[in-house]
Amino acid sequence: MGSFVRTRALTPSSKPIEHDEELRTSICCLCNGGCGIKISLDQEGKIKAVFGDSKNPYNKGKICAKPMEISQTLYGPYRVRYPMKKVNGTFERISWDEALDLIAQKYNQYITENGTGSIVGITSKIGGSYSKLAHSIFSELTGLVNYGTGPICTDSEANVRKKLFGDGSGTSPLSDVVNAKILLIVGNNVAQTKAGQFHWITEAKRTGTRVVVVDTRFTETAQAADLFIQIRPGTDTALGMALLNYVIKNNLYDPTFVAKHTNGFEKLAQDVSALTTERAAEITGVPQNVIEKLAQDLAVLKPGMLFEGRGIVCVNNAGASVWAFEGLMAILGNIGKPGSGIISHINNTGGISNLIKADDVMKPDRKRSSSALYKDMEEGDVKMLLISGNPCVTWPDSARMSKAIEGLDFVVSHTLVMDDSAVLADIILPATHWLEEAGAQASVHRVVQWKNKAVEIRGEEKSGGDFYRLLAERMGLPSSYFPDSPETAWELERKYNKNVAGISRERMLATPGGVHFPCSEVGEESVRLFAKGVFKTSSGKVELTGVSDSPLDYVDTFNAPGNIGVSREKFPYLFSTNKVASHYHTECQYSDWANEMEQPYVEMHPLTALEIGVGEGSQVRVETVAGSIVLAVKITQSVPRGFLSTQPYFGLQSPYGQAPANTLFPVAADPVGGNLVSKNIICNAKAEGGQGL
Amino acid sequence: MSQHAMLVDESRCIECKSCTVACKQENGLQTGDWWLRVWRREQLKDHLVRSYNTQSCRHCADPVCQFVCPVGAIQRGEDGIVIQDHENCLGCHVCVSACPHSGMKIMTNGKVGKCTLCSHRLERINEPACVTVCPVNSRVYGEREELLREANKRVAELRAKGMRVNLEGADKDQTAVMYLLVDM
Repeated sequence: MGSFVRTRALTPSSKPIEHDEELRTSICCLCNGGCGIKISLDQEGKIKAVFGDSKNPYNKGKICAKPMEISQTLYGPYRVRYPMKKVNGTFERISWDEALDLIAQKYNQYITENGTGSIVGITSKIGGSYSKLAHSIFSELTGLVNYGTGPICTDSEANVRKKLFGDGSGTSPLSDVVNAKILLIVGNNVAQTKAGQFHWITEAKRTGTRVVVVDTRFTETAQAADLFIQIRPGTDTALGMALLNYVIKNNLYDPTFVAKHTNGFEKLAQDVSALTTERAAEITGVPQNVIEKLAQDLAVLKPGMLFEGRGIVCVNNAGASVWAFEGLMAILGNIGKPGSGIISHINNTGGISNLIKADDVMKPDRKRSSSALYKDMEEGDVKMLLISGNPCVTWPDSARMSKAIEGLDFVVSHTLVMDDSAVLADIILPATHWLEEAGAQASVHRVVQWKNKAVEIRGEEKSGGDFYRLLAERMGLPSSYFPDSPETAWELERKYNKNVAGISRERMLATPGGVHFPCSEVGEESVRLFAKGVFKTSSGKVELTGVSDSPLDYVDTFNAPGNIGVSREKFPYLFSTNKVASHYHTECQYSDWANEMEQPYVEMHPLTALEIGVGEGSQVRVETVAGSIVLAVKITQSVPRGFLSTQPYFGLQSPYGQAPANTLFPVAADPVGGNLVSKNIICNAKAEGGQGL
Repeated sequence: MSQHAMLVDESRCIECKSCTVACKQENGLQTGDWWLRVWRREQLKDHLVRSYNTQSCRHCADPVCQFVCPVGAIQRGEDGIVIQDHENCLGCHVCVSACPHSGMKIMTNGKVGKCTLCSHRLERINEPACVTVCPVNSRVYGEREELLREANKRVAELRAKGMRVNLEGADKDQTAVMYLLVDM
């Protein structure tokens, strides 16, 4: 018998934090929910804890797990703290001066030798308002061809909405939902993706707003709704068109609004005429009476709102879906009034105009669609790439994207962490985190809120605002156009963007929750767009059929880009991605807590698991035309049979070491809206490594 | 003294697990340690039903963990909060087996850890961290009588909608943490 020694027990397992009087205020910049947060710092000036800001009227002190996780991504071992240069395959520390000189010299060389179009930016994570402005000035001066978040997230939604209403932003704030009689949520698991703001929807429901959720998965949002309509994946367009058809045929639309504020009603009626509720029931799997009851409810319960999510806007027939559902809201007259309209996480304050003198503007000498970018990178038409973000994880066919980036002559990654894209770069530059940069942040409530810098940088990090100004100086460009701080950047923005002219920093800081935009020079806020019935299209009306020259049409997801022509015998299942509350973009995976909360898994119906011969936790290889990855099985009846779904943000160069799920999506674009496809691709799945049951 | 209590309303939970992370942050828990967990349960009846089962110490009026602890490391204070003394804990885990609510958790250091109702912050902030963050008010803290009224109001509202719910810990087996559970 030996003595019982437990050495680890010598250390306590908990250490309650000490609360300080002084907390710094900021705005969470993760999901565009715009939650107010309070930051507690330790003696070293590092983040000790993150709390909700009880003075912020939009989240009222409540927060989801993500802002708390953030401190760990800020200080973890993956964080990049100083510039580096790749020498014989390994990174060596260099100074900012050396890095900037090298980038400027290469940049000018490629412009001269290969034209402006040989340099491309992929900048989904460019930073706050200061960085966005500097980047847009830089792009105008250099003719940089840039791809932001659009191709992988918002293009279809923004493009279609712009053509319908003349503005790509959501028309109404989320907070308006308390004035709505009905809220239609389509393909959007807002309970997980904007958990901190979900109380607006549950409160509205308690006070009488009917909440209807249309989704393929039985989501947390669906669970909280009055009615959940489970729909076959990729068939939302058919549902939207059938609702339009039923509403039109039964004269349930708003005739005054249609007559006064829309164009193309007759043509739209013609486009949807063949899609009866009976036919839609066959396509969508939703019973005919449920579709008809929904149409009747939408016609009676007014005002009503619509909240679409990535579930319908990142698919191969996304544009038509957005067109149908938003067209429906328009003919019901559900635009511009309190408690009506479209809620969206797209809420651009609009860009600046007329800042750069015509002589100084350089136009890109060629343009490419986001899907053509891959080929042009592979074939050498693109020489240099500026990355702020992680396209090797977030763009479809991620393995192909990585290979294409590897083949380029010169790659710069301005990044927070050493991620899958940064490791392929020639120069790595350390970027500031949103807590280390001041700026104005717009939210789903259609407000802009100002946040001061909450924490100091701990290395040589610079914001995009500083980086692009310094680069422009080195390149010999007229650098006087650039602001030199977040504060001067905002003043410039107010001067050259009339949407925010009346929104000073002082006003934002003095108004809990921020200021609604557009807000004119005289300071009048607009809570929702189009309140006066004047739309931003050239006709001033809603262009119901202005989205495309072709008619609004339902295309089966199996006959749409990415799936068309691919053997369904070989790929019998459908693969998709969805987000969970602990993660957002690729950023949160560097947090220990996020890691403890969620591991990669693929959701699978028990009957599909039985078919494949796998059990809970077994490794399964999911294969599509684009590639294959291995994931652990999570058996759940929340997804229909034959439908597989996983989280989209994990990378190989992260604590997870997980091959990115986006690598399974071939490069294909929604023909109507232009979004790259990142949901609903046909796939096969097999037990991996003899692990089957 | 006036008794305070916490209500956990399962009907409102959206499984964002913010409470779990807030608990870790507030109490400085090591990686791999938890005092509060949220588990998903789903069941197929005539349709799919799902609920989120949150587990943490319920601070019983007559705590079985206190009764079984061989070294008296668990005590219930006058304020109704059951506190486990980490220094004295042997790590025998008898309390873990005895607790009917899965409230006692085995820590990575081999000892036992549990929810303290954030007693260290109650004086200052007046509610536990999990309550402060919960975005849908699934977790509420307050004066016991007032909280009971709120809980009964919620029960009545849910029953009026045809949901089968029940309130645990309200009277007989009194606990400082009450659960509004959805019957699956």
